[in-house]
Amino acid sequence: MAERPEDLNLPNAVITRIIKEALPDGVNISKEARSAISRAASVFVLYATSCANNFAMKGKRKTLNASDVLSAMEEMEFQRFVTPLKEALEAYRREQKGKKEASEQKKKDKDRKTDSEEQDKSRDEDNDEDEERLEEEEQNEEEEVDN
Amino acid sequence: MAAAATGSGPLREEEGSSGETAAPQPQGPTSVSGARLSRLPLARVKALVKADPDVTLAGQEAIFILARAAELFVETIAKDAYCCAQQGKRKTLQRRDLDNAIEAVDEFAFLEGTLD
Repeated sequence: MAERPEDLNLPNAVITRIIKEALPDGVNISKEARSAISRAASVFVLYATSCANNFAMKGKRKTLNASDVLSAMEEMEFQRFVTPLKEALEAYRREQKGKKEASEQKKKDKDRKTDSEEQDKSRDEDNDEDEERLEEEEQNEEEEVDN
Repeated sequence: MAAAATGSGPLREEEGSSGETAAPQPQGPTSVSGARLSRLPLARVKALVKADPDVTLAGQEAIFILARAAELFVETIAKDAYCCAQQGKRKTLQRRDLDNAIEAVDEFAFLEGTLD
């Protein structure tokens, strides 16, 4: 499918949105310029990956981690990205932690819920029986009137 | 009747578009800029990372930072290219503005020859 890694493009819609938000209102971008930026972003990711991988290998690790990428940014002379990336990483870690806690909480709630549901069921059955009795009484009254 | 009060509704987080859609998709919660979580689909970024034959594995955090870095990169290069367009008093960014920015800015040197 993809002959070259650079052909793995990121979605056009997202790239366009990022560009539009970075530029002042009323500024447009030609299709050629946009697709060139999209390709540039792919090349950027590939280059950053390669740099990050060097750091990982230096550390005798086989898995790329966040600090490898941050080191790569500095190596590529994109130091200005390091601070916002660190902030984003903090937010991401908090969100991941929140998600994990939320799913654990959900599990606990589910267990608690199944217990209380069983109690509710028996209560509902009693109510239904009462309603049926009331209806029957009404019908009886009507019959008497007719007669 | 017995409504699921504890139902949390769709728990699926907004992860951005996963396909090549032409229409702009409504984005998820946009918090304060800078710490905004990435809009680029992590799966696509991961595919790019895996395209490198030397890479064995990449952690989730690494993929996320790469996605965010790519976003920052797009913003940066768009702004730099816009400076060139502004000088020409144009309101539409052209391909040549991008080429000029690449030549002018040292950090973009790695892009030379890759966009053709």
